[in-house]
Amino acid sequence: MTSKMLSNINVVEIAEVWAGPFGCSLMGDLGANVIKVESYPRKSETRNAGDPRLDPRVAEGTGPIYERINTHHHGNRNKRNIALDIRTTEGRDVLTRLIKWGDILVESFSAGTIDRLGYGWEVVKKINERITMLSLAGWGQEGPYLGRIMFGVGFDAMAGHALIRGYEDGTPEEMIPILHSDATVPLTWIVAVLGALMQREKTNAGSYIDLAQIEDIAWQFPNIISEWTMNGRIPKPLGNSDPSIVPHNCYQASGEDRWINIAAENDLQWANLTEFMGNKSWSEIGHEWSSIIGRIKGRKEIDLAISDFVRQFDPFDLADQLQALGIIAAPVLAPPDPLMSPQLHDRNWFQIVDHPYIPERLLGGFLWKSEPDQPSWDRRAGLVGEDNNEVLLQLGFSTNDIDSMKKKDIIGETYVEERT
Amino acid sequence: MEQPLVDIQVLEIGGTVSVSAAGKKFSDFGANVVKIEPPSISEIRKIAPFPNDLFHIDHGAMHLAFDTSKKSLVLDHNTNSGKEIIRRLASQFDLIIIDLPALETAAIIAALNFDDSLMPNIVTITPHGMTGPYKDRIENDLSIFGWSTRSHRHSITGNPPLRYGPYAGVVQIGSTAAAVGIAAVWGKKADGIPRNVDIAGVEALMGNVDSAFFLWSVNGALQPRSSGQSRGLYPMGAYKCKDGYMLFSAGRDPMFTKLCNAIGRPEVAQDQRFIDPEQRPNHFEEFKLILESWLADKNKYEAFNELQEKGVMACPVLDASELQNDPQSVFRNSYITQEKKGVGDITLAGPPFRMNGLNSESWVSRSSPNFGEHTNEILKNLKYSDQEIIALFRAGVTS
Repeated sequence: MTSKMLSNINVVEIAEVWAGPFGCSLMGDLGANVIKVESYPRKSETRNAGDPRLDPRVAEGTGPIYERINTHHHGNRNKRNIALDIRTTEGRDVLTRLIKWGDILVESFSAGTIDRLGYGWEVVKKINERITMLSLAGWGQEGPYLGRIMFGVGFDAMAGHALIRGYEDGTPEEMIPILHSDATVPLTWIVAVLGALMQREKTNAGSYIDLAQIEDIAWQFPNIISEWTMNGRIPKPLGNSDPSIVPHNCYQASGEDRWINIAAENDLQWANLTEFMGNKSWSEIGHEWSSIIGRIKGRKEIDLAISDFVRQFDPFDLADQLQALGIIAAPVLAPPDPLMSPQLHDRNWFQIVDHPYIPERLLGGFLWKSEPDQPSWDRRAGLVGEDNNEVLLQLGFSTNDIDSMKKKDIIGETYVEERT
Repeated sequence: MEQPLVDIQVLEIGGTVSVSAAGKKFSDFGANVVKIEPPSISEIRKIAPFPNDLFHIDHGAMHLAFDTSKKSLVLDHNTNSGKEIIRRLASQFDLIIIDLPALETAAIIAALNFDDSLMPNIVTITPHGMTGPYKDRIENDLSIFGWSTRSHRHSITGNPPLRYGPYAGVVQIGSTAAAVGIAAVWGKKADGIPRNVDIAGVEALMGNVDSAFFLWSVNGALQPRSSGQSRGLYPMGAYKCKDGYMLFSAGRDPMFTKLCNAIGRPEVAQDQRFIDPEQRPNHFEEFKLILESWLADKNKYEAFNELQEKGVMACPVLDASELQNDPQSVFRNSYITQEKKGVGDITLAGPPFRMNGLNSESWVSRSSPNFGEHTNEILKNLKYSDQEIIALFRAGVTS
């Protein structure tokens, strides 16, 4: 049974990259009817590749490059796809009809852009007074930074995360920027839009949601601001350590670039670990490391001792053995390691998805399982404009209207440069 | 206007960072959230920092931030008496979110043998899920992040794989529980079917974007670990300025050209050394020198204002002391102060989203409850007599 939790909700997506689109895919996983309005004739950001010989995001295959880019596949399952130029009169007619159809409109343009396109909240709610509109601009819709440019990598910098994520005594210069907001903002905005729909049940009116992505990141790291306001300290990178737990680190195992995370959060776990290591005395009364206080003082020596010991083990085997003793231990995975996980196979986590332009592979699965209605991969990432006909007919356009829009490049199934 | 989730009743069990973060997504937007905590003290109450570095069960920063607007009921969920209380509560609730070992979780669910009309939606959080050979494994914030392929992806070759900031992974797992939890509530209101949702932390992290595995699973191209900032697509990362660092994401055109123009070096954007994909990696250090020369006499906000004025994606790397004073944060009240009895004013992040206006009252945050602050109140509402409440306390079921 395909998930039906949100099967009575219609979602219109005019969003780029991940924070908007991936959330719409999650809504699709939950059963919502999602229509992605993809930029046309300009390509979506996730369909733009550099030189395919040098761009590792492009999967092998013979079809159009823009259909083989992994960043596009990762944010666009379980939705229908139309490719539409919303700057044209006919394109605006299509978008207006979609807004009438929708319960939720998701947009992720820079602040002010949607207003300039003629679909600000004041306009949208006149088209459909029951719709909830979500805007995802990085700094939100109001404030002195209105009009400035912000991408996902910047939120960590301006929320203080960039300065605590890193190696101890390291600087941010060599750290690789991350896109944590793309992973977490969708989870927040799903709560926001469903909350708005619950409110609509009582008021019969839609809502406007202004989600500033930087504020969602700040929400996730209360320890950063608190360290300053409570104790006047500026937190620094901790690497993989924890000030109150020893051992708590990532250790190199046998094999090339193989690692294992190990932590003993209490005396019992420490005792089990020392016994396994053949050094039971380290956890016996009288030894300085038998108490947590002694272990904190001896953090460097303990890390060295464990490092020396761990190097002889395969991280997967060692994790199995330590876990059996009740010790926190986990291999550090890198592709393709997850494919060898008996756990993930037992839970049927991997998904096989047919796609005309990429080889058959086991793709990563869903974020949750649910009974009685499991999420299912009903629609692979759409080809550009793949559902133009179906959606436009549903919206009441005739086949003549559709043909006319195609001739004018208002909708399309290939990008203009691909035809030459 | 009422808060949007005022009709929703949420029970959270476990006292972890994950389940607390999940519950907060509901409580500050009006839901009645009861936090069931073990007598052995919730994990989240044990986590530093504490004001003036003085440990107190009710004063930990993570607890003060993630348990706002909730009620605290202290209860031993492993006892039959505790399960009976949970059962009485559960029939009145829309959603139960549990973060406990799989065995304990299963025992609680088994005690809730209601028919569909009374059965709440249940979301379970475990490291590896409620089924499978790893279901009883124990993990923490560090180890589960290692499973996710993200610590390997975002670290530097020759060095250990690296987690994000402390608790980033488990907060994300809690946010996943909130998202699917509210969907389950919506679904049951529509079709009357309660959902049993099984969140495996590993799957929740690895299935999300920014996971190395998912990206690899599409294209099959193994990516070597980074040797630091990208040498092929730059500037993408932090560069030193007069008083700290500026972060750039300006490696592709038209952004790269805008940057070169903004720093008065338009010729760089035409120079094959810096734009030809094959030559570019060999000239990273030269470009770094060019950019840092321009930055050397500018502080963060000077550089930020000047570059953004020219349309360049660059922003200051802020430390904890600077967050509240950023002009945008000030304008939007992105950080708030809240009074906590016994502590005084504390500083918290404001709402993660604004519904119907910047200052609407859809988000109202009340200070976090003391340990067991509402135990008596909740038990009385469940019609336990005074003598029964004393007996539960005497038996160690409550506290």
